[in-house]
Amino acid sequence: MNFELHQVTRRFHGKTAVDAVSLTIPHGQMVGVIGRSGAGKSTLLRMINRLVDPSEGVIRFGDTEVSRLKGTALRRWQSDCAMIFQQFNLVPRLDVLTNVLLGRLNRRSTTSSLLGLFTREERIQAIAALERLGIEQTALQAAGTLSGGQQQRVAIARALMQEPKMLLADEPIASLDPLNAKIVMDSLRDINEREGITVITNLHTLDTARNYCERIVGMAQGRVVFDGPPDALTAEVVAAIYGTGRDGAGIDESMTSTALPASAAQAAGATPSARESSMATA
Amino acid sequence: MVSSAVSHASPVVHAVHTQWSRMIATRRLYTGLGLLLLAYAFVASVQFADESNAGHFFDRLPHLFDFTSWLMPREWSDVWRALFDLPSLHDTGTEEYNFDVGRVYVWGSVYIPEYFELMFVTLNVALVATLISFFVAVPLSLLAAQNLSPSRPLCFMARRVLEFLRAFPTIVIAGLFAAVLSIGPVAAIIAVSLHAIGAIGKQFYEVAENIDMKAHEGVGAVGANWFERMRFAVLPQVLPNYLSYGLLRFEINVRSSTILGAVGAGGIGEELKLSISRGFGAKTLAMMLLLFLTVVAVDQFSAWLRRRLIGDEIIHQHV
Repeated sequence: MNFELHQVTRRFHGKTAVDAVSLTIPHGQMVGVIGRSGAGKSTLLRMINRLVDPSEGVIRFGDTEVSRLKGTALRRWQSDCAMIFQQFNLVPRLDVLTNVLLGRLNRRSTTSSLLGLFTREERIQAIAALERLGIEQTALQAAGTLSGGQQQRVAIARALMQEPKMLLADEPIASLDPLNAKIVMDSLRDINEREGITVITNLHTLDTARNYCERIVGMAQGRVVFDGPPDALTAEVVAAIYGTGRDGAGIDESMTSTALPASAAQAAGATPSARESSMATA
Repeated sequence: MVSSAVSHASPVVHAVHTQWSRMIATRRLYTGLGLLLLAYAFVASVQFADESNAGHFFDRLPHLFDFTSWLMPREWSDVWRALFDLPSLHDTGTEEYNFDVGRVYVWGSVYIPEYFELMFVTLNVALVATLISFFVAVPLSLLAAQNLSPSRPLCFMARRVLEFLRAFPTIVIAGLFAAVLSIGPVAAIIAVSLHAIGAIGKQFYEVAENIDMKAHEGVGAVGANWFERMRFAVLPQVLPNYLSYGLLRFEINVRSSTILGAVGAGGIGEELKLSISRGFGAKTLAMMLLLFLTVVAVDQFSAWLRRRLIGDEIIHQHV
């Protein structure tokens, strides 16, 4: 089931945010979208989830024309295409487990959802999702009391509960420290590999995109200016995507890098739950 | 996948599940008890009100529309005539049909109909009172908000002041001031303002307590003092909501100044009460129509003003 964007355009009050973007993404790919802020990365992702409607163009998933969906079918698509946000977008006053259970809303009757009646299976599944991300011990806390890294993992658990066919992540690590950024990116990769679903993520750190994504899409002024494997991302290409500094010097990747030294990264990857659960509220 | 999740789940998952279920059960119990209590209180209050009523409400209910019989004018055009001070077809010199007596001449034969003039007196009371209360309530609310108040005693005092102002019904305050300032619109303005300060002050500080403190922290970090922090970090965030509540208060104030008129503060309320007590159908209907149209106009005006001042871009921020 290929995912396809054809000449997708979005204008806001006469300004073109996304300009005739065409992409074909085979099922199961891990794609990183890079570009300066304002390049249209967020709008592109939001159009795929249909939080924003395209002004022109066609979005297609398999045989479904996503860009024309309405009502129930549209909400069903949104449930199939999970979204993770830079600011996590959890409900801060609800407990963590309920936040995760919200991922099931589209699959249930409205009445039972509004009464907060989730089945035992769903609750167990939600806690298991939290366990997979190493934060099952936070299940009873209000989501707003967690640290940023923990909140983003709750958001990923919520996305997992949607049993999505595609996962979108809009700058998922931009508000996180390097250790939490690694945990979050590792879980995205894990979901991509184990569930075999397409993951499209906006990133602002080049080295993260290089490390995690098999395909990188570079955007500038709403257009796709690069589309290829990380190896093809040469200094000239980077300059084309980000523009050059006033002094003509290119971008120094190490400046935006949030990579951890290998040893620390290993320790973090091995036991994320042990580290985080002892780290109470931040 | 869902069913297999249960059988494969680890003991930790089940332990967390038990804990969570216990927490939810407790929460539901309290919610249930609270709702029961509320339902009981509601039924009891309705019964109590009915019993303390002079005639029992449910016995008198069938007579509800007796009231309307005297309201029916002999001629429907009399309602318009009363509204615009045109002579009635039934004018025999009695007070019930002397519509053209109350004209307020402004220039030659041009006049303002009596009820419009009275409505304007009432609206004026509401407008002045709303402006006064808005400008007093804004600083008071910033002192009374726990997250913004410069000191705890000040916060405590501001809250007590607001409670005190809220505690007395407008009519009681109006009575007090009427004794000193004599009966009329000035006493009404003071009475409506004082009560309104207490009412919107409370709404204002609750808005202020719900703000996102990030901007406040940011402005504080550049070394801004309390006034600067309020001016640049807090007011931009709270003003749209303050304005909404202020405009809602204006509508409420129109009603309270009408009621105050009925107890002697002048304006349309006084005339309406007289007309009802004497059973003047056409005049009463004309004034009720005018009041209704005024409330609709005020509502439209405040919606327009809010859109102009706050701007569409904030209402439709998330494009």
